[in-house]
Amino acid sequence: MPSVIYHPAYQTYAFGAEHPFSPLRIEMLLELLGVLGHPVQTVAPEPATRNDILTVHDEEYVRRVEALSVGEEVPDSENFGLGTPDNPVFPGMDLAARWLVGGTLHAARLVCENKEKRVLQLGGGLHHARRKSASGFCIYNDLAVAIRYLAQQGLWVAYLDIDVHHSDGVQEILYNDEHVLTISLHESGQYLFPGTGEIHELGTGGGRGLKLNLPLEPFTEGESYLEVFEKILPVALQRFGPGVLLVQAGADAHYSDPLADLMLTTRDYEQIFRRILEYADLYTNGRVIFTLGGGYSLVAVPRVWAILYLLINNLPIVHDLPADWVLKWSQRLGQKLPATLHDPNPGYPDLPRRTEISHHNRREADRLLEATSRFWY
Amino acid sequence: MFVRDIIKGPVIAIASETTLEDAYRTMQEKRIRHLPILESGRLVGVVTDRDLRLATSALSPTPFPPGARVAEVMSRSPRTADPWDPVEESARTMRELKIGCLPVLEDDRLIGIITGIDLLDALIQMTGVDKPTSRLEVRLSDRPGELARLTSFMSHRDLNIHSILTYPEGKSVVRAVLRVNSIDNHSLAQALRRDEFEVLWPPEKPCLR
Repeated sequence: MPSVIYHPAYQTYAFGAEHPFSPLRIEMLLELLGVLGHPVQTVAPEPATRNDILTVHDEEYVRRVEALSVGEEVPDSENFGLGTPDNPVFPGMDLAARWLVGGTLHAARLVCENKEKRVLQLGGGLHHARRKSASGFCIYNDLAVAIRYLAQQGLWVAYLDIDVHHSDGVQEILYNDEHVLTISLHESGQYLFPGTGEIHELGTGGGRGLKLNLPLEPFTEGESYLEVFEKILPVALQRFGPGVLLVQAGADAHYSDPLADLMLTTRDYEQIFRRILEYADLYTNGRVIFTLGGGYSLVAVPRVWAILYLLINNLPIVHDLPADWVLKWSQRLGQKLPATLHDPNPGYPDLPRRTEISHHNRREADRLLEATSRFWY
Repeated sequence: MFVRDIIKGPVIAIASETTLEDAYRTMQEKRIRHLPILESGRLVGVVTDRDLRLATSALSPTPFPPGARVAEVMSRSPRTADPWDPVEESARTMRELKIGCLPVLEDDRLIGIITGIDLLDALIQMTGVDKPTSRLEVRLSDRPGELARLTSFMSHRDLNIHSILTYPEGKSVVRAVLRVNSIDNHSLAQALRRDEFEVLWPPEKPCLR
């Protein structure tokens, strides 16, 4: 049975009641899985150590996180992305962030030591954290720490990021790493945070041609998303030949997400997760680690990640949600939750420009393959 | 942003006795298209790769041989820039004269050259992404205080504006394009709309919440 990494201390990574990166997401998910008859058996990690963090972050940055964490004044904190509206300071933030890194690192160790093939880390995915700066709700980059560890153990790592935002932090830290393939599908940075993730960002040095970015048009729908996904992923994975696949499974490309403009449904997510598991079986001997990530629609996120959990565990995708859970959380959130695991169909009215958007994405995927192919043979 | 901020040294120049062949080779080797020409250390002209190609073209009724001197084909007394010129002024000069470069002189001494590419770099620097930010596009009335209203809105929310650019759109309207240090420009846009700003991007999502 696949391992699920979690510790209640993850809930201490919280920026305040109004902040979108809410620990409620996990609370709702764990409760939902429980009432669906699959109470989650979790494996507890240790928090990552300071030295683990220093494998990818500069000490001058870590020192500031530590200082703010214990209430010290740090006059230049904003130069390090800390104390901003996105990344407010909270007591104990250093340890809270190290818990999440520790979980992703624990997942990596289980796979690396051949104790497990499929692992789900119920947290982490903090892909915006930069070498010396917090950014976009992310303090420490758990993904980069885990990738560094895996690469040091001699594994070639493929990193796939389906969060709606570009994985700029992971890319920055591993931009010249020849043992790491990174693939990020995201809404175009033309408008959306963080603004990067263009096709021409292909890596440097030995990593040249191994950093893949596929920016998608705002209002891209599932059909187009899956088309380009299937176009890029098998080719990239087959050529690179990774030993393990690490997936940042952000759920903010869902149509109800308040922070972005992609239009995936839960059915699309089911297809994407199924593909990822198939690709892992085909190209990494089944070895795959999932982390969570962004996802700010409390109406959608627990359902998306519940689907991920069920698929990873080869459990059936149920139709109806337990009425008690729906009622309880509808009341608590003040928003009506659907009565079914999948979104209502259709979930949103027909959109204009569907054909143009699909054309555009197809062309971008072709351009990406063309741009990388000359580095690969 | 001044010309002195975007010039890259050291400038590559050649003497007026240089042959077309050698000038061409210098351009190829250095991967450049414009060469200032010096006589006794003073700027006397500019030669471009286009000048060389046209001068030696088989289509020309009187093509120059490769051994001819650049002085014979260069543009004389070229328009120059001062290091303290604003870049937008240089851009306007180059656009109006339809030329691709301006040698930069300080006390009659050649200290650099700017080309169209340098101006593109300047544009990218003024508008581009070198910090994680979201983009916001707002339409404002062209009257005093409107931009201030927008920026104080950001300041009240403790947001840092990374870059801001405004340009006229029609007679009485300007468009402001901002990059802001927040991942959540959608709720920012909603709040702006509630304050009766016309936000062009990000749009409202046409779907159920």
